[in-house]
Amino acid sequence: MERMINSVCVVGGGSAGWLTAALIAARHRQPDGGGLTVTLVESTQIGIVGVGEGTWPTMRNTMRKIGVSETDLIRACNASFKQGAKFARWRTGADDDFYYHPLVLPEGFPQVDLAPHWNAIAAGHPEAPSFSDAVCFQEFLCENDLAPKLMTSPEYGGIANYAYHLDAVKLGQFLREHCTGKLGVRHIDDDIVAVQQAEDGDITAVVGTKSGPITADLFVDCSGFRSRLLGQALGVPFIDCNDVLFIDRALAVQVPYEEANAPIVSHTLSTGQKHGWIWDIGLQNRRGVGYVYSSRHAGSEPVEAELAAYIGPGFDKLPVREITIRSGHREVFWQNNCVAVGLSAGFLEPLEASALVLIELSADYIANAMPGTRSGMDVVARRFNEMTRYRWARIIEFLKLHYVLTERNDTAFWRDNRDPATIPEALQEQLELWRYAAPGEHDFTSAHEMFPAASYQYVLYGMGFRMDPRAHARTLRDRDAATAAFQRNAATKRKLAGMMPTNRSLLNKLAEFRFQPV
Amino acid sequence: MNWVQLTRAAHAGLRVDPALALSACATVHMVPLTYGEIRRVASDFPVVLAKDAETGQFYPAALLGLEPHENLYWNGARLAAEHVPLNLARLPFGLGGADLAAAVICVDLDSPGIVAEGGAPIVEADGRESPYFAGVQATLGELAGQVAPTRGFIEAAVQARLVVPIRLDIAFDNGSKAELAGLYAIDEAALLREIAGIDTETAMVLAAMALSIDRIGALVRRKNARLADAAVWFGADA
Repeated sequence: MERMINSVCVVGGGSAGWLTAALIAARHRQPDGGGLTVTLVESTQIGIVGVGEGTWPTMRNTMRKIGVSETDLIRACNASFKQGAKFARWRTGADDDFYYHPLVLPEGFPQVDLAPHWNAIAAGHPEAPSFSDAVCFQEFLCENDLAPKLMTSPEYGGIANYAYHLDAVKLGQFLREHCTGKLGVRHIDDDIVAVQQAEDGDITAVVGTKSGPITADLFVDCSGFRSRLLGQALGVPFIDCNDVLFIDRALAVQVPYEEANAPIVSHTLSTGQKHGWIWDIGLQNRRGVGYVYSSRHAGSEPVEAELAAYIGPGFDKLPVREITIRSGHREVFWQNNCVAVGLSAGFLEPLEASALVLIELSADYIANAMPGTRSGMDVVARRFNEMTRYRWARIIEFLKLHYVLTERNDTAFWRDNRDPATIPEALQEQLELWRYAAPGEHDFTSAHEMFPAASYQYVLYGMGFRMDPRAHARTLRDRDAATAAFQRNAATKRKLAGMMPTNRSLLNKLAEFRFQPV
Repeated sequence: MNWVQLTRAAHAGLRVDPALALSACATVHMVPLTYGEIRRVASDFPVVLAKDAETGQFYPAALLGLEPHENLYWNGARLAAEHVPLNLARLPFGLGGADLAAAVICVDLDSPGIVAEGGAPIVEADGRESPYFAGVQATLGELAGQVAPTRGFIEAAVQARLVVPIRLDIAFDNGSKAELAGLYAIDEAALLREIAGIDTETAMVLAAMALSIDRIGALVRRKNARLADAAVWFGADA
């Protein structure tokens, strides 16, 4: 007889666990209380890693989908608005070396592709505006600490595309309340001491010290780096990618603002260091700062000294947390009746905030493709594995792209990153094509792409990559349309300058008033 | 504008011509309304919702024109409407102060309604407040008393998901265009869907708002007539 899928058990209560529980429950719960039952087991003793503080714009849709108000989210998680990333000292390492990867597409993209036109202009004019500034108005907003929306903008809507910086621990608590209060998710606080499996390997129950066996038809492993179910119980191997991405340690600190009304930076600031880079994320009440580095290239002492110099006076009073990172992912993500979401599936350096978005995408797929029967689950699992493997590969390549074009020669960390032996073949092939044509939608043909072509343009040209001038003549189409697009971008900046509030002033207002649903 | 707090010591001799005071609305295209007057006012004007630029919160308003500073109901001497919104009827007086409970009466000394002769006094020769000023005080009292009911009404409408954005994209007879963004209305279909859960009085006010949106057509006609008059005046080919 066919075994129906009626219950889901999520193991782990970090961002991954609660987001997955919320997305599944929001989609499958019936008003009468029927539908799939969703249980989340977490051990509050173990705690969560909770350093993931940057999201993608996708989080807006995720939150809307599970029925959360944006005002409540921002208030509960000390969240602020994020409008992309600024990469400083990645190319030359000089003090004035920076570029942006904004969240707004280049003006007119993809109908008008400004990349070849900008390449032609920049070829003879080193003083020409940077690519990100010339084609997109968002850098202007970021450089001036301006918000992406107005108090009159509706929930989840804005003038410029945006994501969030948020306190991941608070996000977990916020989602827990929403899941248990509104979405009917059963919450069990217990330590898992054993995993019971059937002969075919399927997990039949996880065993808690207090609750005994907790059964379910599908188990979602959100147990963090431990990978308690997929890695430990089912023995799915881990694929290391430290041959491509060298980062394997992080020193993280929380830095208070010098004054209560200090500006809140509207982007993730990522600053190249000698042996890695420092992330700097502004929340409402504090900054989250961390130095991720390669332990093969440096010990923790010189790294901590660089971090201290970055943060300045007061660093010695801040507790520093050291986190060991294993760059890579599981060989498969869905095995038998167990699927891993979050750190249990894998982890990469937080260069493009790929952790939370992968959780959202994975959980969304699981919720949408939820098989009706156990035998159908094998089909869904196969598709999920294929898709997720593709996504990890694309992310790894895109992260590596940030490194391969560096001109820094000051340390082995940067030099080794340029070693062709460390660069995935697919990326090398793409770079060859991009000498003669700008990254376009034709380069990214899967339905499961992670980054749009425009993101590759921002990083490529930001890092100093230039098209071969011999290709200009062939690629310069629609000159009038391109000129008009450059002018539109400049005009938008002038208009927004007089219109947008600062990040801080909008967030202060939001403490008192609410965004309206429309 | 020059708003000052009204005091007997400074302003006992003030005379006001209410019709002239109302002329300040000649360049006003939206007037905030209170819950209690929406049903009446909606028989003259489209009643929309707009957001306060500072707080982002909705307020109900009568739409008098199709672009900022345009009042298509003002004919140069009077407002062509049966019901004058309280926020126009109070002029040149208003309530000031951050705290509503301790609000003070203010007056705009630059108002065209402040006159040397004629009009009505605010204090009679015997020192008592004039009937005219008693009427102004009643209007201001009504405005203050309506703040909470108006807010509650709007919150209920937003909660019930009755508020939808409207976009006015209008082409006039002479080829010119107007685009009015940032306006919202009560959605008729949504109101019908939710009406069982709404008390009768509130439902009637919401219905009046929903139906009043049809009056935007009358605004367009007024505007076309005005453009035609202007064309004759300037001798352009109509």
